[in-house]
Amino acid sequence: MMAVLEDRMSKIALLLTCGAAFFANGASAQSVCLPLPRLLTVTPMGAQTGRVTEVVITGESIEEAAELVFSHPGISAKPKVADDGKVMANTFVVDVAGDCDIGVYEARVMTRLGLSSPRAFSVGDLKEVNQTKASATLETVVPVDVNSICNAAVGPRQVNHYSFSATKGQRVVIDCAANGIDSRLNPVIILADSNGSDLRAERRGGVIDYTFDADGKYVVKVHDLTFSGGPHFFYRLSIREVLADTPDDQPVERLASTRSVQSHSWPPAGLPAKAALAEIEPNDTADQVQKIELPCDIAGRFYPAADVDRFQFSAKQGEVWWIEVASERLGRPTDPTAVVQRVSVKNGVETTDDVIELTDIPSPVKLSTYAYTYNGPPYNSGSTDILGKLEIPQDGVYRLQLNDLLGGTRTDPRCDYRMVIRKASPDFSIVMWGLHMQLRNGDRNALSKPLALRGGDTRAMEVVAIRRDGFKGPIQLALENLPDGVTAEGLTLGTGQSQGTLLVTAAEGAPRGYQMAKFVGRATIDGQLVQRVGHAASMAWPVRNARDEVTQPRLLVQIPVSVGGEEVAPITIAAKEEKVWEAKVGEKIKVPLIHLRRGEFSGANIGMKTFGAGFERNPKFDLPIAKDHSETILDLAALKTKPGDYTVAFYGGAVAKHVDGGGANAKPKDIAEIIVSQPISIRVLPAETP
Amino acid sequence: MFHRSLCRTVLSCARSLFVGAVVVTLPLCGLLINASSSAALEPTVSFANDVMPVLTKAGCNTGTCHAKAGGGQNGFELSLLGFEPLEDYEHLTREGKSRRLFPASPDRSLLLLKATGRVTHGGGVRLLIDSPEYATIRDWIQQGTPLAVDDEPSLQSVTVEPPDAKFAPNEVQSLRAFAHYDDGSTRDVTSLSLFESNDVGMATVDELGQVQADKVPGRFSVMVRYQGRAAVFAGSVPMDAVIEELPPVNNFVDQHVFENLRELGIPTSAIVDDATFLRRVTLDIAGRLPTQDETAAYLKSESETKRNELIDRLLGGAGYADYFANKWTTLLKNRRDAKSDLMSNFAFHAWIRDSLLENKPYDELVRELLAATGTVIANPATAWYKRVKDPKEQLEDVAQLFLGVRMQCAQCHHHPFERWSQDDYYGLAAFFSQVGRKPTSMPGENLVYHKRGVAGSINPRSRETIRPAALGDSVGQIGPDEDPRLRFANWMASPENPFFAKAVVNRYWKHFFKRGLIEPEDDIRDTNPPTNPALLSALEEHFVASGYDLKELVRTITRSTAYQLSSEPNRFNIADRQNYSRFYPRRVQAEVLLDSIDHLTGAETAFANLPAGTRAVALPDNSYNKSSPFLKVFGRPESTSVCECERVQSASLSQSLHLINASDIKSKLQVASGRVAKLAKAELPMEERIGELYAVAFSRPPSDAELTTAQAYLNESRQEKNGKPMSSVKAVQQNMQDLIWALINTKEFLFNH
Repeated sequence: MMAVLEDRMSKIALLLTCGAAFFANGASAQSVCLPLPRLLTVTPMGAQTGRVTEVVITGESIEEAAELVFSHPGISAKPKVADDGKVMANTFVVDVAGDCDIGVYEARVMTRLGLSSPRAFSVGDLKEVNQTKASATLETVVPVDVNSICNAAVGPRQVNHYSFSATKGQRVVIDCAANGIDSRLNPVIILADSNGSDLRAERRGGVIDYTFDADGKYVVKVHDLTFSGGPHFFYRLSIREVLADTPDDQPVERLASTRSVQSHSWPPAGLPAKAALAEIEPNDTADQVQKIELPCDIAGRFYPAADVDRFQFSAKQGEVWWIEVASERLGRPTDPTAVVQRVSVKNGVETTDDVIELTDIPSPVKLSTYAYTYNGPPYNSGSTDILGKLEIPQDGVYRLQLNDLLGGTRTDPRCDYRMVIRKASPDFSIVMWGLHMQLRNGDRNALSKPLALRGGDTRAMEVVAIRRDGFKGPIQLALENLPDGVTAEGLTLGTGQSQGTLLVTAAEGAPRGYQMAKFVGRATIDGQLVQRVGHAASMAWPVRNARDEVTQPRLLVQIPVSVGGEEVAPITIAAKEEKVWEAKVGEKIKVPLIHLRRGEFSGANIGMKTFGAGFERNPKFDLPIAKDHSETILDLAALKTKPGDYTVAFYGGAVAKHVDGGGANAKPKDIAEIIVSQPISIRVLPAETP
Repeated sequence: MFHRSLCRTVLSCARSLFVGAVVVTLPLCGLLINASSSAALEPTVSFANDVMPVLTKAGCNTGTCHAKAGGGQNGFELSLLGFEPLEDYEHLTREGKSRRLFPASPDRSLLLLKATGRVTHGGGVRLLIDSPEYATIRDWIQQGTPLAVDDEPSLQSVTVEPPDAKFAPNEVQSLRAFAHYDDGSTRDVTSLSLFESNDVGMATVDELGQVQADKVPGRFSVMVRYQGRAAVFAGSVPMDAVIEELPPVNNFVDQHVFENLRELGIPTSAIVDDATFLRRVTLDIAGRLPTQDETAAYLKSESETKRNELIDRLLGGAGYADYFANKWTTLLKNRRDAKSDLMSNFAFHAWIRDSLLENKPYDELVRELLAATGTVIANPATAWYKRVKDPKEQLEDVAQLFLGVRMQCAQCHHHPFERWSQDDYYGLAAFFSQVGRKPTSMPGENLVYHKRGVAGSINPRSRETIRPAALGDSVGQIGPDEDPRLRFANWMASPENPFFAKAVVNRYWKHFFKRGLIEPEDDIRDTNPPTNPALLSALEEHFVASGYDLKELVRTITRSTAYQLSSEPNRFNIADRQNYSRFYPRRVQAEVLLDSIDHLTGAETAFANLPAGTRAVALPDNSYNKSSPFLKVFGRPESTSVCECERVQSASLSQSLHLINASDIKSKLQVASGRVAKLAKAELPMEERIGELYAVAFSRPPSDAELTTAQAYLNESRQEKNGKPMSSVKAVQQNMQDLIWALINTKEFLFNH
């Protein structure tokens, strides 16, 4: 056995020496990424406004968590104290203020390692019930009231049963929040008669909207689409009465959800909450076009099935318009597409010529292909929505037809959109997520880790920008409102670049604490300094095997940055001197590095790559991890670096021998971790003129 | 298809060469035409009208001979059944340096030497030297192998005489085939036509059109083919029994069934008793046995409409949706090839099941499938596009499943039995040409969408882009923004569509009656007529008028007296296999049988990833066949084709052995929480315990003789292995296991009757 282990370790070392990605085949959950606190369940998953609710939490590395924090000031929590005066572990009393808005918020716990990853916590206005006993059969059905929400989880290969009374003519909407509140459940809800015989089923994440034709008891069944289950397959089941005469084409109100990553780029800055115009049906055919004038801001919907909305306007040669449509980013299951055609009439006969077809907003970065090996972020910051430029080729009448590529057979009044046609209004939006290391396994653990730092740690965040209306200028990234001892260095997104990095560093002695940080990007647009607040994204769950698990990316409500104060980073790599390293164009910069090692590592070297605008091309180099110092060279001639100020950092993967909790007798565990140097300032001076 | 205009052009070019003293070969009009001195004779033999029929009749251009795909036979290629005469002409006259034909001495032509066996020929002797067919080809060669003759008429149609006839048992009658040309002429082509019976069990036909009827009463047809045209002879073999009385007519189904029986003189069996009807209709609609309580309540009911009420109750239950979802998902290839298929297969199955549960109109269901867009989670119908990726496979599956038309042949050549050309094939493929795909966050799953563009599909033979057309029907011009699949779905759902409704009512008829009005149920064509055209037409009309209501279709069929006839034959209708004068028993299908055994024994079969108690008819895909030898042995299909024939319904030795010996059957009988354990301990009279078993197994009480036999057996004493007497409770338990085992092995249990 030892021989096998030694052989394995030597392979790891070899891979590291070669600067290649390393493996962790068959590794346990935390063998990728040092332990970090993750809040996985909060039960119940929500509460009614103005009520006090007892919640129980579970998670990873959240032992002795004493503080439960919410993303809304109207929600507060205290540890539950038992009758004997002792604090009950992982149990809190949550108080939701009466004026707290209905919605989905985030809960986190402060632990010895910092503030945990979030778990969604809903606030509603209906009575809340927490299911406490199994209801896997009709015989053990749990009674619930109409106009209530039941918080529950379903077990593997199980179906949960609920009963309620309804009267003839009563219209009830049955909804189930699951994916939208961080659950792993793909919910199936079934309405059945009192004998359990199914009447209606919904498996696409929609609602059952049913008007009863007889008084009686009815049953709701809930299960996962593939009958998976367990504590992580939780849900909020809502049974709510609606007015029977509500028109069918009026969308029913749904339980609130978290936001998709795609939605980070919507709305554009300064867009009014409500559109100025509304789509006027019928506008499906060439004879029924809706005439508009540019610029415009229109609200419409893809309804009913195969709906095509046609708008007609006049424009002059050389005009440039930007067309932006939001629908998917509003949370709708749509894929809008627009075609603009020039309309000509000759001898009374109308002809049309395509000018442009607009489809998706592409992801600025290559997305993961879900291969075993990590080959890109699984966060799509693009969208199936539309954002594109229309250049008018000649004076005339133009027709824009808008339809949903996915709407051919679907009649769903929820599928609305908003279309803005404007003159160029250059702008940008930014979103970031934790940088994942290049691993040859399916583990995507690092994608869900919180920004909880160890002393001496530098964490890299991958930043992506959606540039709007042709904006190409550089964007300065920053993270503000950080806790004591924490600094952030935003590497600039260079001209035309859409991908960059943000480095967050905790000083070795940074005190325990947390702050809700503000992520901003700044740019000069049309001579004005513009600042945009960015978002952060995370996976709802640590993904152990990307081949078998569906990743669940979402936007975070807040960006908390914390320091646990109890553990320190296994190594800090920094420039020997804290200064601006200067060189002239075409010269080489030698940067002496110090390795402040606080733990043991496998292998002798780390293959290091470089962050920094234009410095990504710096060849990978070996950093001798066993030594206390090293030196690296940046060849400005080879990199063709132009004069200016730059921030660079070096990063690579290593296998740390981590002792969880730092106990003297604890056994070290090999954990693959990404190592990032502290940021290093570079100034490239112009070459001296002879 | 004979390209007449092209032929005429070639002909006019070729005629000028029918002079001269030497053989010349000149490129002309894209062809090479041979000419010789002997060609000075005025040509009288037409290649298309005279030579090709001879080659076809001789079997030279069948798929196993020179029309074999991939180059024909030994370098000599002909088009299948002579559908491409121009190509055949080129192959015959030009290939191999024109070695196949020798106009200077026609009898020494390789074609004739081989066909007559004078030179070794793998296909054997196809022509006799002294036959008129031989003479036709020899004359054609002698006349210079003309492609056509002056004012050559073009074939318009073929008829058969007589078009229909009644046959006494074993009677022989002759058919004659006539070809009709565009110049008004008619030719007797009996000797050159191909004849084929659609039911050799009822009647056979020889190559000269002699029809020999059998003794089986009913209707048959003979397909007569000549040069790409076909005619159908409708034959009937009446029983001519005296029909004094027919059962009461419940609906239009009975009117048509009984009218047919009256015409054929076939009396019906009696109407079935309540117990058998309950079991039959519950198995057929819900795919399960009636429960003991259902049986008791139904048999006790004195309602005059209790059969109709039962049908409605079954149609309102989830069992109907489960059972028919099992049927449809199998045909729609919901097959698990990889672990990652789990999600899409579960979603797709559930979508079908839920659609049936809410009685979604059939045209809407098909529309949602055909024009599916989105992801599997948001729109499970797209899973079909994951399973069936190739547009050609898509069109073939859709045509066969929803239209009852088999288009596979037309991919490479004109359909041999039908009017479908390659253009028809690629016209259908064009509907699927704009299906786009994008990757999604789920490994192996795509987002399906309509890719903007003008739909079209290239016919590889003509290299022409074929625009969407629905089996010869124009669907109008489809712009680049319109999903052509929606237009296809509109065409299908048109009340005038000759295939769509017909295909499904015939399929459902077969579900309930074992035999379709058209057989096979997915081979609807002019040359395969229904056994009761009026009934099929009425069912079709009723289905369309109902708004494509599948439950109404089932209701109509099962409410008919015809469905409620006994399976017990009388001396007249014992041979009837196609006129529905009695119910045709059929072996219960694999999933239903497994559920039935579980129901009778009180056992549960566990299925991976599914809750305890899930019935086999509710299984989402084929993957469970691997873990269940029972399902495999009893023929549960693997969902590899759209053909119902993939399900094995025949009996086999392995099935018998499985029921007798298999460990899973034994373990179900012995299950601790099962019916045997419960009944053995129950403090009930033995009669009641036996009654429960019969009620569950057969939906009826035991007869006196059965009761006596069963009681005697259950009361038999037993010995332990060590020879000591077994306790009475234990003995009853083991005897009861034997009794249930015996019940399971009866035909009454294994068959729906």
